[in-house]
Amino acid sequence: MTTATLSLSATRAAAPVKPRRLGVRAAKLTVGLVVLAAVLHLDIGWSDLAELPADLRHYLDLMFAHPDWSRLPAAFYQTWVSVSMAWVGAVLGVVASTILGIPAAQGVAPLWVRLPLRGLFAVLRAVPEVIIAIILLTVTGLTPFTGALALAVGGIGTHGKWTYETIEAVPAGTAEAVRAAGGNVLEVARWGLWPAAAPELMSLALYRFEINVRTSAILGLIGVGGVGDMLTGYTQYRQWDSVGVLIIVVIAVTMTIDAISGAIRRRIMRGARARDLDRTV
Amino acid sequence: MGSGDHAPEGIPASGAWPIHLEDVIVRYPNGVVGLRGVSLSIAAGEMVSVVGLSGSGKSTMIRTINGLVPATSGTVRVGPYTVNELGGRRLRQVRGGIGMIFQGFNLADRASIYHNVLVGRFSHTPTWKTLLGVASHTDREIVMRALDSVGMLEKVWGRAGALSGGQKQRVAIARALSQEPEVMLADEPVASLDPPTAHSVMSDLKRVNTERGLTVLVNLHLMDLARQYTTRMIGLRAGEVVYDGPASSATDADFEAIYGRPIQSRDTLGQ
Amino acid sequence: MIVVVLIAITVITTLPALGGVHIDLGAIARNWANGSERIAKLFHPDPSILPRTWKPLLETLEMAVVGAALSALLALPLSLWAARPSNPTRSRAGVRAVLNVVRAVPDLVYATILVAMVGVGALPGVITLVLFDLGIVVKLVSEAIDSADASYMEAGHAAGGTQTQINRLTALPQTWPVYASQVLYSLELNVRVSSILGLVGAGGLGRLIDEVRGFYRYGALSMIILEILVVVIAIEVASNYLRKRLR
Ligand SMILES: Nc1ncnc2c1ncn2[C@@H]1O[C@H](COP(=O)(O)OP(=O)(O)O)[C@@H](O)[C@H]1O
Ligand SMILES: [Mg+2]
Repeated sequence: MTTATLSLSATRAAAPVKPRRLGVRAAKLTVGLVVLAAVLHLDIGWSDLAELPADLRHYLDLMFAHPDWSRLPAAFYQTWVSVSMAWVGAVLGVVASTILGIPAAQGVAPLWVRLPLRGLFAVLRAVPEVIIAIILLTVTGLTPFTGALALAVGGIGTHGKWTYETIEAVPAGTAEAVRAAGGNVLEVARWGLWPAAAPELMSLALYRFEINVRTSAILGLIGVGGVGDMLTGYTQYRQWDSVGVLIIVVIAVTMTIDAISGAIRRRIMRGARARDLDRTV
Repeated sequence: MGSGDHAPEGIPASGAWPIHLEDVIVRYPNGVVGLRGVSLSIAAGEMVSVVGLSGSGKSTMIRTINGLVPATSGTVRVGPYTVNELGGRRLRQVRGGIGMIFQGFNLADRASIYHNVLVGRFSHTPTWKTLLGVASHTDREIVMRALDSVGMLEKVWGRAGALSGGQKQRVAIARALSQEPEVMLADEPVASLDPPTAHSVMSDLKRVNTERGLTVLVNLHLMDLARQYTTRMIGLRAGEVVYDGPASSATDADFEAIYGRPIQSRDTLGQ
Repeated sequence: MIVVVLIAITVITTLPALGGVHIDLGAIARNWANGSERIAKLFHPDPSILPRTWKPLLETLEMAVVGAALSALLALPLSLWAARPSNPTRSRAGVRAVLNVVRAVPDLVYATILVAMVGVGALPGVITLVLFDLGIVVKLVSEAIDSADASYMEAGHAAGGTQTQINRLTALPQTWPVYASQVLYSLELNVRVSSILGLVGAGGLGRLIDEVRGFYRYGALSMIILEILVVVIAIEVASNYLRKRLR
């Protein structure tokens, strides 16, 4: 069967030898060794892992088999506090990022302005929000306001970067036109760059809010309030049926916000594309 | 370019398959009717072209033959199988006996040429063996020979994405050949190629028919290619067969009847 | 219209009576004397803490690597499972739904609960990172598969292949660059996350952060932050370099 139909040429030219890509092999080996070393050195009883599935089942059962629904109103209230934190943090962060991000774009402000700003963004990106909150709370106290401020400051790291990247992606012509007409830096930004970059930036701002919704729950864990605070409490006292309710609420609220915000973002971007077409046609 | 000069001729295939369509209707889920009652018979070892304007149902017909598009009603018989009654493993087995070539080549650009041609061995390989990533010596040998027969053996370890259009189509032919098929289907195989390359790919297909004796069914929208390379021509218009006869003697009037409009310069390849 | 809605939401979220954020500038004034002194200490990093940071730093990096590696292992089949071209069956929707749920729970929340379940240490940290990474990598990779040209799959079906065969032999190399790049990205994020997981008892630098914070050793805290900064940026630079070479 195998040779019957392919008898076109009984003999064939010699196939080239499969090249050995030494670089790729070396890279694979290195990655493998690093992972192996990390696995072996990490202080984990890998043998205990066999019990993990049973453990997980046990706790999932405790959390979700009979959730304590009487906690529902409190859970929703605290989640709302977290979402408020996320929103205020997003608004403050986006405003600050826009102010700082525009001059950080190439072609807007000179290098000595651009570089320090980009450095600032890189540093803020690298520091986790929780740590920013720990620093801030020394002056603002353990309040949701601290949480919002931490989200705002932390958000500048990523959102500032997105802002200048978006602006740099704007076709050169628009800004040139305003500059040729004698516009200064502010006017170039307002009339040349902003209209072209606004939809993308709006969409990114909403995305910032989605991320903040998750992070704000985390900030609660260090005590600034909201659903994370409540969760720590119930987890420490091992009230699993209440923890279950909290997790269900967090998941439901987060997914709902993602869905709504995602739909709005898609609409914004579709509108922007339609306008782009209008311009080119 | 043609690489058939070293090949011994006249060795017949183990058994080419005939193709029979009976009252085949294809209605797509969105309500568009692709084929409206097509009946035809193609004998084993024939080389047939299917000609028609864009949207006339050529692709639909060829895809119905290997079950990529299910027939809404009617019968599709290929060799010993009734394709429209099969599904799952049996359908995959029949498809293994039917090679197919596409207008867009349909190669995995980032995979090596070797792996792309190995795709042709799927129906002969248990899934778990493919999962483990080991190919048998026989499969490897078949892949190499298929590549050799289209003159692409040199490139076997390169990436498919790095090839020119003509080279890609040759690799695609090798992929179909490595199936050791009984039937070869080609859906506008030269529509994306420049004229000289188009001719050399058509010659390769012709060789598949003459040297291996496979039944070949090729969709074309250019009349001169149909005349030059195939013996029989089927004309489709709006999902119906409007012509069925010898290809070389088909007149311009016949083509105008198929197209339903006067002949234009873009209906021929030229050269 | 949009502006009105945005302002309305902002107003509602800043009304303490409705559970919103109380923007309390007065508090800043009240705490200023006390707080500014501590913040001043932040500008004088205390290097004497460094020797104590090496072990937890190593643990942080190891958790990041192991988390990324384990999630990478799981993410490959899951991504193929969650994308339309590589999984035309209904089960795709199920995988996506589960992953959306997994993604909706924040990382430190996983860590908090897992620490209560399996005890303090690196294990809850690694599990947290795996869940966190899976959510990101599978989403991005499966979306990339969805939007990539998949005509080669049709050829695989036409040759009589099973979906599994097609995925293994062609979809895998086709997806590899996107996948590798996302795994690197998840490693970058992991270093950032795993440095704070210890705050809730899940191993790594976070435990030390919690300790020095408890003793108001802000000089030491700023030294640790600097250390995290250097490591995170170093990993980001290395990963950007590798990612460019992948193309
Ligand atoms: N997947 C599909 N779904 C719906 N309609 C289709 C599909 N494929 C083709 N069609 C329609 O079926 C008709 C025949 O198309 P096709 O077989 O592709 O023609 P040809 O290959 O001759 O250009 C056209 O009207 C086309 O729009
Ligand atoms: Mg077609």
